[in-house]
Amino acid sequence: MGNWERLVWNQRHLLLDGLVVTVEICLIAFAAAILGGLVLCLVRLYVRPLRQVAIALIEFFRATPIFVQLLWVNYVWPELFGWPGSFFTAGWVALALQSSGYLAETFRAGIEAVPRGQREAGLSAGMSHPLVFRRIVLPQVLLMVAPSLVNQFTVIVKSSTLVSVITVQDLMFQSQKIVNTWLDPIEILTATAAIYILVVFAVSALGKALADLLRRRYGLAAS
Amino acid sequence: MSAALAEALNPAVFWEYRAILLKGLAFNFYVFACAAAAALILGLGAALLRVNRWRALRWAGTLHVEIFRNAPDYVMVVWIHFVLPLLLGLAIGRRLEFPPFLSAVIALGLVYSGYFAETFRAGIQSIPLGQIEAGRACGMPERLILWRVILPQVVRRMLPEAVNQFVSLFKATTIVSLIAVPDLMYQVSMVTQQEMRPLPLYTGAALTYFAIVFLAASLVRAAAERWRQKVYA
Amino acid sequence: MSSIPAISVVDVHKSFGPLAVLKGVSFDVPRGSVVSMIGASGSGKSTLLRCINHLETPSAGEIYIDGEPMHFRVAGDGQRKPRPIAEINRLRRDLGMVFQQFNLWPHMTVLGNVVEAPRRVRGLKRSEAGELALECLRRVHLLDKAGEYPARLSGGQQQRVAIARALAMQPKAMLFDEATSSLDPELTDEVLAVMRDLARDGTTMIVVTHEMRFAREVSDRVLFLHNGLIEEAGAPEEVFGAPKSERCRQFLSKYLPKYVQ
Repeated sequence: MGNWERLVWNQRHLLLDGLVVTVEICLIAFAAAILGGLVLCLVRLYVRPLRQVAIALIEFFRATPIFVQLLWVNYVWPELFGWPGSFFTAGWVALALQSSGYLAETFRAGIEAVPRGQREAGLSAGMSHPLVFRRIVLPQVLLMVAPSLVNQFTVIVKSSTLVSVITVQDLMFQSQKIVNTWLDPIEILTATAAIYILVVFAVSALGKALADLLRRRYGLAAS
Repeated sequence: MSAALAEALNPAVFWEYRAILLKGLAFNFYVFACAAAAALILGLGAALLRVNRWRALRWAGTLHVEIFRNAPDYVMVVWIHFVLPLLLGLAIGRRLEFPPFLSAVIALGLVYSGYFAETFRAGIQSIPLGQIEAGRACGMPERLILWRVILPQVVRRMLPEAVNQFVSLFKATTIVSLIAVPDLMYQVSMVTQQEMRPLPLYTGAALTYFAIVFLAASLVRAAAERWRQKVYA
Repeated sequence: MSSIPAISVVDVHKSFGPLAVLKGVSFDVPRGSVVSMIGASGSGKSTLLRCINHLETPSAGEIYIDGEPMHFRVAGDGQRKPRPIAEINRLRRDLGMVFQQFNLWPHMTVLGNVVEAPRRVRGLKRSEAGELALECLRRVHLLDKAGEYPARLSGGQQQRVAIARALAMQPKAMLFDEATSSLDPELTDEVLAVMRDLARDGTTMIVVTHEMRFAREVSDRVLFLHNGLIEEAGAPEEVFGAPKSERCRQFLSKYLPKYVQ
């Protein structure tokens, strides 16, 4: 038990600092992924001239491994675009890229599932296209895709462990720092794995409960 | 910007090191094949536990699924590589070390067995009970019913989702470079250190993986769909 | 030897939790005879049929196939021991079962469905099993559909394949569990015709059915079940012509108004 106290409990401030960074980078990446996914999806559906570009981007983001994207954004983007300027930014951008590709497809499926007649009813009541989208289509799509959103967030949390590779000081980074300091990986790595498993489990359980609640509240069948 | 773009898309370095990079890519496929086999076998085992009639076994199956489905790939790879040999070593009283390749296969196999187990379970539970009873009424033992009646249908039903999971697994094989399995990403970073030209090398790696995953996934999806429709037309 | 009935049901009880579905049912099925079971839904007739081939385990009582107990065997010390599942499987082969929902295996062709059990359970060679299966398909008039998948067949054809599948095990008796109840009226006749042929060929059969005309014409004996007990039993002329029990009369009046004065 001595090791647990020395290597895990006494290091709790480091681990907690790391966990805060993990939470930050995941939330920022998630918000960016939702925004990016929505834009990609809307361009693909409604902006004719850019449709092929959107499809190419979506497929590229989906089919490229997250680790490769991370290194690509980190090493190549600053030279190409002069941005991102920090490892932290490179980390959430890469996480967001991958998820935005998946979310774009999820949103598209949701939008296409809203019956056409509802849109026509809105238009014939004199609502503008953007208004119909914002008031009639989007709320239903968000309800429908709620479970996929939660799932995508768990994917982001799991992938976020990789940002430690580009020295973002997240939970995985701190944990490996402790390993390198004390040269005794058993307790600290086991604790780290347990923390991640519990966090991901809690997120998906809470998210599922929330998604079901929303769906029941608005009269849609739970999935 | 345009100079940087030209440099990023310049295939010369990538071509120069093609032999070593291709060898690296082969390692991605080795890891993928071994981990996929392990994941399928372990996943089927866990799924059978989860539909078992004994509660304790169902519990064990659920625990397996929840642990590995919720564990990040990278954390599992690191844990299996650096912790598991130490624990086993303590148990048998001898120093133990895993070769990186073995650790990678065990870790990815375990993580993806969690996903496959859920897919298998959903497939198994979608088979109408009557078809199983028809087998029993013909005097078929349960094991024969499993192999001849249940699994062939489960495989067809789970195919689209399984393809997605195979794609994820292949993409996940890129992280094994972090425990020094000499895959494509590992070789790319080695060459980068030597040549100091990250732009074309990392861009080339990204495009290579994209091309493989995109083409393979499209082909497999099309083939799987045709195969399925042959029976359920 | 011929005095031993093909199937003998002795005081069978079955409860699901607190709900008693069968409360002590006994009857014999002589070899080569057809016994029909009629009764309202919930009377226990389907449960009884499922108990006979151990898809449900009876809570008490015993079923004998050719004099051999199905669920228990008597050990050396005279104690009754439940049979292991492998032994029950072996005895079950002697009973062909046809379900209300056909329960064909959708990923196998018609021939594949019929060949499966003879090959894998009885261990016949591929050619032997194939010949046997084709013979069974001929008996249900579906030789031409041997290569089709079940999803492409009508309900009546699927049910005939299910009959062929049961026949292919060359059972000592056939059990029919409302074999026509999920079929459209115009499709029931082709299935009933096949069942009639089987009866004429001397197949031992237990038939749970709502087809009163069929039961009257084909059966040697009719059982009316009510609340988990045999309320009335006899030759079809007796049960349909002059039912002694009031409940049986009421039940029949719903199906066959013309048989009630």
